[in-house]
Amino acid sequence: MSILDAQHDLSAFRQAIRDWLAEVVPPDWKARMARASNEEYIAFQRWWMAERSKVGLAIPHWPKEYGGAGLSQRHLIAVADEMARADAPQNRLFTISLIHMPGTLLPHGTEAQKRRYLSGVANGEVWCQGFSEPNSGSDLASLRCRAVRDGDHYVINGQKIWSSNSMYADHCLLLTRTDPNAQKHRGITYFIMDMRSPGVEVRPIRQANGRAEFGELFLTDVRIPAENMIGAENDGWRVAQATLASERGVISFEGGERQRYEIEAFYRNSLKVGAAWLKDAQLHREFVSFLAEMQAARRLLRRVLEESETQGASASVLPSIVKLSSTVLRQRICSFMVRISGMDGQAFALLAEEPFGSPMFDFLSAFSGTIAGGTNEIQRNIVAERGLGMPRV
Amino acid sequence: MVTSAIETTSTPDQATLDALRESVANVLTEQCDSTELHAFVDGKNALDKILWAQAGQLGWLGLGIPEQFGGLGMCSQGLVILHGELGRQSAPGPYIATLSAAQTIVETGDEAMRATWLPRLASGEVSAAVPATLDVSGLTRSGAGVSGAMRCLGAADAALLLAPADDAWVVVDLDGAEVAAASMWDRTRDVFDVRLEDATPVGVLPDSAATRAALTRTLALAVAADSAGGARSITERTIAYMKTREQFGRPIAGFQALKHRAADLATKLAVADEMVRHAVQRTVTGEPDADLWASLAKSEVTEACVFITTDCVQLHGGVGFTWDFDPHIFLKRARLNEVLIMANTALRDQAAAALAAITASGRSALELGL
Repeated sequence: MSILDAQHDLSAFRQAIRDWLAEVVPPDWKARMARASNEEYIAFQRWWMAERSKVGLAIPHWPKEYGGAGLSQRHLIAVADEMARADAPQNRLFTISLIHMPGTLLPHGTEAQKRRYLSGVANGEVWCQGFSEPNSGSDLASLRCRAVRDGDHYVINGQKIWSSNSMYADHCLLLTRTDPNAQKHRGITYFIMDMRSPGVEVRPIRQANGRAEFGELFLTDVRIPAENMIGAENDGWRVAQATLASERGVISFEGGERQRYEIEAFYRNSLKVGAAWLKDAQLHREFVSFLAEMQAARRLLRRVLEESETQGASASVLPSIVKLSSTVLRQRICSFMVRISGMDGQAFALLAEEPFGSPMFDFLSAFSGTIAGGTNEIQRNIVAERGLGMPRV
Repeated sequence: MVTSAIETTSTPDQATLDALRESVANVLTEQCDSTELHAFVDGKNALDKILWAQAGQLGWLGLGIPEQFGGLGMCSQGLVILHGELGRQSAPGPYIATLSAAQTIVETGDEAMRATWLPRLASGEVSAAVPATLDVSGLTRSGAGVSGAMRCLGAADAALLLAPADDAWVVVDLDGAEVAAASMWDRTRDVFDVRLEDATPVGVLPDSAATRAALTRTLALAVAADSAGGARSITERTIAYMKTREQFGRPIAGFQALKHRAADLATKLAVADEMVRHAVQRTVTGEPDADLWASLAKSEVTEACVFITTDCVQLHGGVGFTWDFDPHIFLKRARLNEVLIMANTALRDQAAAALAAITASGRSALELGL
């Protein structure tokens, strides 16, 4: 069965997704995953990708010629919305595979690269991103990881950091320095790196929330075939803009929708058990203020999706404005949850088993929103300079 | 001047709303620019009267009034556009009180009341007043008469007052009533005190609770839209100033500390606009949570506007604190907006109660309806 058969009628499409989710999502998956080892978690993620693949929902947003279904933005909104509504697992392991890789290869890859790599994702190939370096964070263009041509290969030496799920990745979207003498934006080259190449070493980084989702990449004399270059030599910065631009979109939208259901479940439960915080008028006021901001953020996330299909979307600063508003709101909501959960909330717990079941974990995790994907400070520069026309220094 | 585009009926489409916004903006940017506004604040022109007469001619005052009563029937969507643009220019005049009273009469008045007042309100022949805050004790009712003192939002020459009198809501003809205009920090708004002695209401609204709810919601949408428009306008003016003001040999708009503040203001503005849109959308489709979101739009957006206008004074530096520059006009209007209807804490309490009631009934108050 393919859910895609129902795509011509949006409400039937939604219903098909809903029926499938009711059938396939294990009701206890959150509780199981809360106690799962890394290996179990990864196996679960791969299983979920395989299930999505069976019904045509692995890569529904890609063009048909590369194995996708070419679904419209409205359909993707429906998919994300139904996933959130059913509290279905997220494709965390495949974020780069599903968003950044096609966002880069579709506009800039060679035909051979598209044929080779796009279809691999539905079969479970995991991608990671090799952009940031220990000394090149917000100033990404200052990156130093070196690539030197050697016949029909490039030889890579350097270090990458904050590479999500790189411990499990098959391929890496890698930015390197090919011309150290050029102006910093002009000497960068973009490669696809096989993560099983000799000389690739990955060390997980443990985060403040106790988990290790990022890796640090140590690259020593790694050989990459020249055919794995995306775009032209020294034109990697331009290609990288496509990768960065692809981050705006469905994932954030789905996150916003999930938060809606989480917070609603939390509130319904608070009413049911007569939670103490409800008796505090000021806390109640804060809570409804969050809801007003959340509705605004959800509307803005939708607008980013609608705008992404229009001309001139790449010049818009709306994605930056949305990132600023929704990530800070997330942090404030999580902070509120920590405050109202008192001493109980301070007891160590990893993954949340129920909405805001581990407020400190959620609060600490919320920094990934305000820091990753271009810190909020960089987003403010973008809004001020590109959106408000304030001069660059 | 584009007026033909807005003379349409029933649920307006986006193109009609855009045309409305453009035509209102064109008139106001031309006639209510900074120079005229400052002259008005200093008592040197009658900008409020000029704009009001024009608003009547252009149909603005009948935007939300059904056609059979001389209006354009564009409901809340049209009204928030008008209030947003009036806010953008800090335009003086009794728009919020008059249009909200009219909208309430549309929703909960009886036929006689509608037929008597709506055409006159739509044309601008008369203006209306409402209580400046709704959580104060209203007038008292004894026999057929109402008595008491009340601080009102609206022009001192308003023809009618829509107000609570004990457990009823009444329309009082203010002709001959004892009225004293109050001097406010926000000179773009009219506030007056009225004292009534056994005045005979010209109408009693059939459903008090529905009337209170309708007036609260329409005022909330109007005040929120006015605040969102004002906040956006003063932010644009402030950033324009920062691009021309030089210190340390370059425009202060180039300093990162100030850029980040400006970006945060832009973010707050985007959120404020969406809060207003969400509340309007829920109102237009008549959702049970419409009042909840209108109350929250008012409380959140007016506070954001106070934050933004305050920061705009600061971002101007010394001149921001002067009478001659624009920020203080917007700041004062923002502070008045903040306290209208009722304290924001009280509006949030109402929203919280509504949320609890809707949730307890097994429904969701969090649908976007998009």
